[in-house]
Amino acid sequence: MSARDTILAALRRNSPDPAAHPLPDPALLGESDASPERFSASLTQMGGTMLDRGPDEPLDQAIARRFPKPGLMICSLVPEATGTVRIEDLPTPQAAEPVDVTIVRAAFGIAETGSIFLSEAQLHLNALAHLTQHMVVLLDPAQITASMHTAYLRPEFHTARYGVLMSGPSATADIQGVLIRGAQGVRSLSVCFLPE
Amino acid sequence: MKEKPVDHAGAAVAFIADKPHLDFHDARLWDMRQKRDAQMHLLPEWQELRSRASAIKEHALANLADYLEEFERNAKRNGIHVHWAADGAEHNRIVAEILAARCAKTLIKSKSMVTEECDLRPYLAARGVTVTETDLGERIQQLDDQLPSHIVVPSVHKLTSDVARIFAQHYGTDPDANDPHQLAEAQRLAARPVILHADAGMTGGNFFVAETGTFVVCTNEGNADLSATVPGVHIATIGIERVVPRMADLGVFIRLLSRSALGSPITQYTSHFRGPQDGGEMHVVLVDNGRSARLGMADFWTSLKCIRCGACMNTCPVYRRSGGLSYGAVYSGPIGAIIDPTFNERRYSTLPYASTLNGSCTNVCPVKINIHEQLFKWRQVLVEHHQMPFVKREIMHMAGKLMGQPKLYRAAIAGTETALGTLPRFALYNWLNPWGKNRELPEPVKETFHSWHRRNRPAAKPGKPDNAETKA
Repeated sequence: MSARDTILAALRRNSPDPAAHPLPDPALLGESDASPERFSASLTQMGGTMLDRGPDEPLDQAIARRFPKPGLMICSLVPEATGTVRIEDLPTPQAAEPVDVTIVRAAFGIAETGSIFLSEAQLHLNALAHLTQHMVVLLDPAQITASMHTAYLRPEFHTARYGVLMSGPSATADIQGVLIRGAQGVRSLSVCFLPE
Repeated sequence: MKEKPVDHAGAAVAFIADKPHLDFHDARLWDMRQKRDAQMHLLPEWQELRSRASAIKEHALANLADYLEEFERNAKRNGIHVHWAADGAEHNRIVAEILAARCAKTLIKSKSMVTEECDLRPYLAARGVTVTETDLGERIQQLDDQLPSHIVVPSVHKLTSDVARIFAQHYGTDPDANDPHQLAEAQRLAARPVILHADAGMTGGNFFVAETGTFVVCTNEGNADLSATVPGVHIATIGIERVVPRMADLGVFIRLLSRSALGSPITQYTSHFRGPQDGGEMHVVLVDNGRSARLGMADFWTSLKCIRCGACMNTCPVYRRSGGLSYGAVYSGPIGAIIDPTFNERRYSTLPYASTLNGSCTNVCPVKINIHEQLFKWRQVLVEHHQMPFVKREIMHMAGKLMGQPKLYRAAIAGTETALGTLPRFALYNWLNPWGKNRELPEPVKETFHSWHRRNRPAAKPGKPDNAETKA
C-alpha cells in the first residue's frame, strides 16, 4: 500500500465520531469598522507608516521627500508614479535585488490589522516584494475591509496563486527580545490612500 | 540497552544555576504572556473565537481523511505536486528525491517544526545538500548546533552576548557586539546572497485549506517569503493535522495565532500559496509521523488541534524556569509534554511530570486543548505502562499500601512525626526526598487529630450514633 493509502486508512480507522463534531457556520465576529482611520491606526501599530503627502502634491514628489537619497533605484508598478526602472527590465529575482524602493497598488486592505494584500497580479515578480529595501503601497480607501473575517470573503483568495498579507515591514525579536523593524524583508512599508 | 528517559529535572537544575539567563528567559516569556493578555482584552469576542477554533479543528480532525483528499484534489488542480509521508524517514527521502531530480545542492529554509521532527538537515547534509536556515532564531540555533528551545522564538534562551559569540565565529562579526540591531543586520547581509543563489526553497505551513488547495505560512521576518519566491522550486512540509475545511475558517485562526503567540494582532506576513508562480514548481509534503495513531487515542487526540502558538509555554512556570532544551525533545513546554510521549513513551516518560498541573496552559490555549488534564492522564498511562522512575514508583507503591490500611497508616504517621523531630538532616534530606531539595519539611506536630479525637471522645465507636452511650 502507498503511504497515502496507509495514512488515509489509519485516519478512517482511528477517527473520532464525525457526528459528534459538526462544523460551525462561518461567522463575522467583532468590530465591523472599515474606515481609513482604523486602518491607519492598525498599520502604525504594526510598524508601518502613512506616506506624508500634501493635498495636491504629486506622488513622485512625496516619494522623493520620503526617500531623499540621490541615485536610488525605484521600481514603479503603478501608472501614478514614474520610478527609475521598469518591472519589465527586472525579469529575475537576481535582477530585482538592487531595487531600493518599490511602488505597488494593493488589491485591498484590512482595517483590523493594517494589512495590505498583494499577489502576482500586482507584483508581476513575487520576489520583488521581499527583495526591495522599501515599499510604498497605494490603497483605494474603498477597498478597505473591516476584519480578517470579511477579508477571507474576498475573491482574490480564490484566484491568486501567491497572495500575501503584509502588515507593516518585516520584523524580528529573536535577539534578546528586542523588536527590530526591518529584518530580512522590507525595511519600511508606507501606505498612501489613493482612489483607483 | 534500554533507552534512558530524558533527565528534565537534572537539566533544569543546570538552567536555574545560570541566573542572568534564567532571569531574562523568565521575564521575556512572561512579557509575551502579558502582551497576549492585552490583545485578548481588546476583543470582546475572544472566548467565542476560541470556541469556534476548537470546534472547527475537532470537526476537521473527525473528518481528516476526507479533507486531506479534498485538499489533494484542489492542490493538484492548481499545479501543486502533493506527496505523502508516513514518517520522518519517508519525508526526508521525498525531499531528497525532489532536490536530486533538479540537481539542487543548496536549500534555503524557513522555520518548520515538522522538519525538526523528521531531522531533515543531517539527512540532506549526508547527501551533499547544504541547508541554510533563514529565520534569525533558527539560524542561531543551527550555527550553535542546538534544537530550537521554543516553537515560536527558537533562541529565546540566549542573550545578545551569546549571539555575538556565535556570529563572530561564523560571520566574522565583532564578538563584543552588544546591539541586537547590528547582529540582525549581520544576519540579513549574510543571508541575502545565499537566498539569491539557492537552488530550492523550503517552508513549513501553519494551515492548509481543503476547499481551495491553499496552504498558509505565517511569519514575521520576510525570510519565508524570500525562501518561497526567489528560487524556482518551493517545497512545503506540513503536518496532516493542519487542515481547515474552508477559506472562511482562516479568519478565526489568523486572529488568534499571533495574538496568542507574541501579542501582536497579526504576523507581519500571512502568505497564501495556491499554486506555483510563473515558471516555478511547488511541492507539498503531507507528513503523518505518528499523527494518525494519535487520532485514535481517546484521551489525547485533541492535542492535534494545536496551532503551535507557544502560549502554553510562555505561561508555564516550569517551562519558564527550566528552558526548552531541558525537555530534550523537538517539542518542549506543556504541549511538548503531551505530544512527545506519543513519539517515544520511555524516552519522554519524565516530561508529563514537568508541570505543577496549575491549568494555566489550558486557560491560554487558543484552541482549548485541555493540556493540564492530558498531562495528568499521561502520568496514569505511564504508571500503567511501568514508565515511572524507580524512587517515585516505590514511594507511590508504599503510599498506596499505607493509605489503604488505616492502622498501618496511623502507625506510620506517628513514626513520621517522631522522625521529623529527631532524625538528623542527612536522613531526611537526601536523594530519596527530591521535594526537600529546595524546601524545608513541615514542623512535626505534637499530636495527630486522630489521637486527639480518641483521647477526648473515648467511648464513641465508629458506626454507632452519638447518643448510644447515654442510652446504655
